[in-house]
Amino acid sequence: MTDSKTPHVIDARYMEPPDPFVKTMEMLDSLQAGENLLLQLFREPHPLYRVLKENGHRYEVELVADGTFEILIWR
Amino acid sequence: MQGLLSFDQAPPFTAPLRFFLSAPVFALLAGLILVWDGPSLLASRWTPGALAVTHLLTVGFMLQAMLGALIQVLPVVAGVNLAQPLAISRWLHVALSGGAVLLSSGFYFASASLLITGGIVLGVSVLGFLVVVVPPLSRTPSTSPTIRGLKMAMSGLFGVAALGVVLALAVANGWSIPLLSLTDLHASWGFAAWGGILLAAMAYVVVPMFQLTPGYPARLSWWYPGLLLAGVVLASLSVWFEVPGIGQLAQGMLSFLGIAFCAFTMHLQLKRRRARADTTFRYWQLGLACTIFALFLSLTATFWPALAEYNELPLLLGVLLIVGGFVPLIVGMLYKIIPFLAWLHLQNLGGGKLPAPAMHKILGEKEMNGQMGSHALALVFLLGAVLLPELARVAGLLFVMANLLLLWNLSRASWRYRQQSKLMREQLAQL
Repeated sequence: MTDSKTPHVIDARYMEPPDPFVKTMEMLDSLQAGENLLLQLFREPHPLYRVLKENGHRYEVELVADGTFEILIWR
Repeated sequence: MQGLLSFDQAPPFTAPLRFFLSAPVFALLAGLILVWDGPSLLASRWTPGALAVTHLLTVGFMLQAMLGALIQVLPVVAGVNLAQPLAISRWLHVALSGGAVLLSSGFYFASASLLITGGIVLGVSVLGFLVVVVPPLSRTPSTSPTIRGLKMAMSGLFGVAALGVVLALAVANGWSIPLLSLTDLHASWGFAAWGGILLAAMAYVVVPMFQLTPGYPARLSWWYPGLLLAGVVLASLSVWFEVPGIGQLAQGMLSFLGIAFCAFTMHLQLKRRRARADTTFRYWQLGLACTIFALFLSLTATFWPALAEYNELPLLLGVLLIVGGFVPLIVGMLYKIIPFLAWLHLQNLGGGKLPAPAMHKILGEKEMNGQMGSHALALVFLLGAVLLPELARVAGLLFVMANLLLLWNLSRASWRYRQQSKLMREQLAQL
């Protein structure tokens, strides 16, 4: 999951709820076919996962050493 | 867009609220018993009053708030959805409250029948909670240290409750079992395997989220709950096989692990991105500092027998861990969770047509901070009363005051939420 492959990045690690959710949904609305979105958080966003599944988005999650969850989202 | 914020399947606000609103009532009762009994309550950890107060705080306040919060947060932090959360919260709340009153009355009035009934009611309540929560939780893959920690905490909850029931029955029926070592073990399961692991699993999520700190490193947070559980299992084996040396080692290991976790959390707090310190931040600093102090004393006593023989030490540790540690950490979380949940439910009610009021309109910073000040004052006097028992009644009164204020703050937040919902429904009807 590198930034070069994923031009759209939301670093939500220091955002207060519900900003990470709101910003991710806004970004997903403008995401073009074939584009990816990388969301970075210090927790797993289970409510977002549910919405992504309902909307037909797919995602992969990776936990990196500093405790960041990197969630790569695409349709 | 607004509809997507619904965090669908989140339990209704009243599901956790009933637990949060009754928790301070039990702490208030504990304070009243201290006022009533005065200095004699603090003669040792075994007085009827001390045993009653301990269980009013650990079961009535802590367990009540912990299980209520879990019903609410399991879908959010672990993606675990409980079937009929409102129905679960209704019976669990009644059973836990009834069990806490019965058990504490059993201790206070030295009544065997009340002790047995209270122990069994609480045992069945916890078992009922585990029956509802464990199957969906165990089906959820451990994709985060939080989920892994929650799974381990459930075994801690089973351990502390099972030992508690055995001890209640043993005391009531005069069974010949090693009461002292089993009571210490009951406390280890409660504070480390249940409370400690649950706290760590929740801290991984709420500390960075609410206090805008860096995250806990993945590898450490993954292994930490397992180390705590291993320490408690080791302590249990030492009691079973009667090898006190291993028990000492296990207690030392648990104290060290607790100190390390609290110190690391304080280190994360120092690196926070939120410039202003709010009440949750201060409550957590108080809770972490008191826990470190308590565990440092406990660690010293493990390897320095002269301190362990000091009669006031168990009471000092109890006050520091419960009133100084767990209660501030729990109230600090409640002060974030309650306004956020109120806001979330109002936001959903508005459906994008009406905005929800800001969170500080539900519960203001000044109100929370004032309450925290009164809790800190009560804590200072309670610690003083362990060393100078003449202070017991003043300390009890201050503790009653702090919990009246907590009850007032939480009830007012609930009232404001109801008023605002009513207002918004009226406005929506006119649109």
